Amino acid sequence: MAQGLCPTHMRRFLLIPAVLLVLLVLSLRLSTGGGGRAAQFTFINRGEVNTLDTNRMSWLQDIRIAYALWEGLYTLQSDHGTAAGLKTVPGAAERIDLSDDKTTYTFHLRPQARWSNGDPVVAGDFIFAWKRMLQEPADYTYLLFYLHGAKQYSEAFEAWASARQQQLAMPAPDFKQVGVTACDALTLRVQLDYPVTFFPDLCAFPPFFPLHEPSMRPFAEAEDSGHTNYKSAFMRPPNLVSNGPFRLAEWQFHRKMRLVANQYYWDRGQVKSQVIDQLSSEDPQTSFLAYETGGADWLAEVTGDTAFGLAQRGRKDLHVFGAFGTYFYTFNCNAMLPDGSPNPFADVRVRQAFAMALDKRFIVNQITRMGERTTTQYVPPGVLAGYQSPAGLAFDPKAARRLLAEAGYPDGAGFPHFSLLFNNEGQHAKIAEYAIKQWADNLQLGDRGTLAGVEINTFRQYLHNKNYTMARANWFGDYYDVSTFTDKYRSYSDNNDSDWKNPEYDHLCESAEREGDADKRLAMLSRAEAILLKECPILPVYNHVNAYLFRANVHGVSLNPRNMALLKEVWRE
Amino acid sequence: MTVDSSIPIDAPGGGLHTRLFASRRILLGSVILLAIILAALATLPMTLGHRSSLYYNSQDAAHVRQRPCLTRPFGTDSLGRSLLGRCLLGGAISLAVGTAAALIAIILGVSIGLIAGYHGGWLDALLMRSVDVLYGLPYILLVILFKMAFQEPLARLISPNAANLIVLFSAIGLVSWLTMARVVRGQVLSLRAQPFIEAARAAGLPQTRIFLRHILPNLVGPVIVYATLTIPQAILQESFLSFLGIGIQKPMPTWGDLASDGLLALNPLTAYWWMLLFPCTLLAVTLLSLNFLGDGLRDVLDPRQDAAKL
Amino acid sequence: MFRFIAYRLAQFPLILAVIYLLTFILAWVVPGSPFERNDRKLSVQALQRQQEEMHAEHWYTFLGHYPARVVLHGDFGPSLSYDGWTVNDILHDALPVSISLGLLALIIAICCGVGIGAMAAVDKGKALDWLSLSIALIGISLPSFVVASLLLTVFAFYLHVFPVGRWEHISDVVLPAVALSLMPMAYIARLTRVAMIDVLSNDYVRTARAKGLSRRSVLWKHCLGNALLPVLSYLGPAAAATLTGSFVVEKVFNVPGLGQHFVNSVLNRDQTMILGTVMVYSVFLMSLNLLVDVGYALVDPRIDLGARQET
Repeated sequence: MAQGLCPTHMRRFLLIPAVLLVLLVLSLRLSTGGGGRAAQFTFINRGEVNTLDTNRMSWLQDIRIAYALWEGLYTLQSDHGTAAGLKTVPGAAERIDLSDDKTTYTFHLRPQARWSNGDPVVAGDFIFAWKRMLQEPADYTYLLFYLHGAKQYSEAFEAWASARQQQLAMPAPDFKQVGVTACDALTLRVQLDYPVTFFPDLCAFPPFFPLHEPSMRPFAEAEDSGHTNYKSAFMRPPNLVSNGPFRLAEWQFHRKMRLVANQYYWDRGQVKSQVIDQLSSEDPQTSFLAYETGGADWLAEVTGDTAFGLAQRGRKDLHVFGAFGTYFYTFNCNAMLPDGSPNPFADVRVRQAFAMALDKRFIVNQITRMGERTTTQYVPPGVLAGYQSPAGLAFDPKAARRLLAEAGYPDGAGFPHFSLLFNNEGQHAKIAEYAIKQWADNLQLGDRGTLAGVEINTFRQYLHNKNYTMARANWFGDYYDVSTFTDKYRSYSDNNDSDWKNPEYDHLCESAEREGDADKRLAMLSRAEAILLKECPILPVYNHVNAYLFRANVHGVSLNPRNMALLKEVWRE
Repeated sequence: MTVDSSIPIDAPGGGLHTRLFASRRILLGSVILLAIILAALATLPMTLGHRSSLYYNSQDAAHVRQRPCLTRPFGTDSLGRSLLGRCLLGGAISLAVGTAAALIAIILGVSIGLIAGYHGGWLDALLMRSVDVLYGLPYILLVILFKMAFQEPLARLISPNAANLIVLFSAIGLVSWLTMARVVRGQVLSLRAQPFIEAARAAGLPQTRIFLRHILPNLVGPVIVYATLTIPQAILQESFLSFLGIGIQKPMPTWGDLASDGLLALNPLTAYWWMLLFPCTLLAVTLLSLNFLGDGLRDVLDPRQDAAKL
Repeated sequence: MFRFIAYRLAQFPLILAVIYLLTFILAWVVPGSPFERNDRKLSVQALQRQQEEMHAEHWYTFLGHYPARVVLHGDFGPSLSYDGWTVNDILHDALPVSISLGLLALIIAICCGVGIGAMAAVDKGKALDWLSLSIALIGISLPSFVVASLLLTVFAFYLHVFPVGRWEHISDVVLPAVALSLMPMAYIARLTRVAMIDVLSNDYVRTARAKGLSRRSVLWKHCLGNALLPVLSYLGPAAAATLTGSFVVEKVFNVPGLGQHFVNSVLNRDQTMILGTVMVYSVFLMSLNLLVDVGYALVDPRIDLGARQET
């Protein structure tokens, strides 16, 4: 250490903060991009947008933006006052002819429909998009299998691609076998195998949106296997060309997205806001504070405690309404668990016992507190006209104990240790802690239930690999038909997390697909749901609600169960 | 780095002990710390006992989110569990995490620092370069990776809760030994250069005797100081892991976990202030006392230390 | 001096290579590769193709191809969890943000930390010592997410002094910078205090006072300078950590910086992103350590860099 009188150049120390200050000013110039023109409407979306590739998107926030950027053959429009809240109206197609047997749709495209770079929207754009969907399978490719020959084409293409990779010769599959043709530039004919009542709804769903091939071509990478990969730069401004009410002007990763009204959109007169900003914010508390301090006009997701507090204060800007989704617990129905031990939940009586031993009222009254309704049914009630869900298993601890005893565990004796898988975000932990205690108390299971809280990525992986005994889950409907729920539990469905297989259920679902009469169809699906609820591979807990925050000077935010407010219609005074 | 040779370790009259007790920092820090440790440990039978009102998992549906009152001094959380019980058990677990991490840091850090400092040469260079490289990695990366890699395999061997705790201790401990190693090595190096060591060697004393009688006692000071300062760091790291959702397995509480939950409840609209206030106060008081204790110990045991080594 | 700098610079590539290798092994070893987990983002075929593109079928093929790409093209490749964004894109956007935030935080930490530490040392043992040190130590006695949330709620919400959740003007930077500065401030205050106490007890201070120099002149000219040397030493790693951001501060204040990526990339097993962020952090750390060592020599002319032992 210093010993002498030498003053160690104190002034030189001051250089440090001075230098830092200079660097600070410089870097601030770089990093804060400057707001630019203020947006006419700002909203906070649920999280950062993952992808703008309509073929691949499956997340809610992506789909919300997709509806602003693109328009399908049909499109959605808010329908105030109905249970569904949305109606399907012709979009890029101005006139649709339906054959008598209801299997052939002829779409006449609008001559004035344009892409955001001025190109006309033609039938070939839809063919390109659907063909790509079949060639590069994604989450929703199965929806295209309603088209005649689509499933065969997709499988044939995959076989051909693998053959090519192994340098085997095979004839290329012909897309002409698929039931979609461009009769001319403005006419598209679609052939289905059997009538699908909700086909217009499907056409209004992003996987059926058109794609602008010429703007994507510079980013194409053809592979040896015959697949064509498109570099993601095609989704970024200024490369992205879309045919909807807006075009993508700016996309700053994890900061904001700016949508500007598409001057070539055929219905541009109806677009209410010219510039819309989407802010991305991960933390729910911060999002709420940002809204409160005027940083946003619409907050698209409000969490439990905040919503409860706002409701208690009678805040008028809180809007809570039923969602088209259910929160449930899912059981692993395989005979063996992943670690090799026998699975107690393979026995249907055990599953039923657990379902009947959970008092769900505490969950919605004290934990989530957003006014949700407990449910014993899988499909959310009151949304789908004409459909009645059968009754499920009610709370009955005595019956539950009896069932458990019948299954071989009288008074819970001999029941193996089991764990409940959930992700640590939000309220899932609290709900799980309560549920475990309920089963411990009502089924006399003591300490045998443990919690397995993991972070979200691990959770999804375990769920997908069936690496769990019991897990929390939820499901939201993608389109307004029962099959969006019931299809999930078909034995061969990719989305069937529980590995529950029931041939009668499959048969009912398949027959319902082919059934032309709407009432008979719904009756079949109701019987299918009854089987599901009786066999109990899932334990429905409550129906979700949506909660929005927006002030009185904001208009056009549609409160529909699909959580799909259309950006075309929103505006602020 | 020098040892203040004006404080002979084994001088008659106990100069060191007098100074230890005279330091107000040390006194205050130790008293508070002791009180908290005693409270947490003494109530363990109650916080872990199913029948007791302080049981950490006694969900009471009728008394959810109650503010503090006479029967429930710290209030209850959103499942009706007594916050006092959870804070006490949380304290025990948090302090256990901190202590375990400090122990691992001592064992690993002292061994490696000793070997490096005593042996010198290529082994020293290799070990210290490795420490430098590990310093160069962001510690959060190592903690998370370690936890993710070992939690599941271990959970298959022993119970999941025990595995979770063990992995938590180890993950945090494994990133805490680096400073200790550097400090110990530096201390050994400067000791070796001291004249009295040379003299001892010249007098023909065996290596082990030099080691045990002269080097080790002089290490005790810095090791205690840095061990005491490692504990608060470890507790904070555990709270960060809880915030990320990969900390202790629920429903076991730690202060960090309780603070994280309390944060969610600290909404401008609802303000369940007791859910945040009590865990945070306990955390702040404990960590401050640990920091004061560590600073005080350093003032006494190592006043001339190159203070850049935290 | 220049030989010293050159010598240290020459070591950079070697150390970086070792860190790269180590990170690579660690990231690869952890279970749950992004190529196998199919969490509804990419189809099986797309996953396979991405894996082929990255030559990631086996660790040795990945190891063989990836470093060349990094070293020759400076291209870290696509992020494995953020579909469509390359690591370079993300770093390019996030780094300036973290640097601005970190710089402001450092300035605050240094000024306040040194001030508090000096005050505490001068009034050693008395009330000001305890009080100022307690305030300073808040930074390391409370979890950062608690302090950050409290700051946000109090200043942005109740008092409306600062905006929430944006990153567009200078006023957006202040609150997160204060939150970020608390931890280095605590360490700096403590360091300054210890060093100042040591310096103040020196004989030459008494001599200077006996000679009639004013207290302030003695403090400023003679003591503070010497006391700040250990602070300078600490600044290297502190600046590296602060400039690369903090996950908590960025999450709570919604700052689009680099800190969140350190944690998220590990949680997502995004190997390319992990490597990118770790490399950035290592480069920062080594450059700043070098700067600090050079600064040491500039500030204290008695220090001979060539002979400076590494302790």
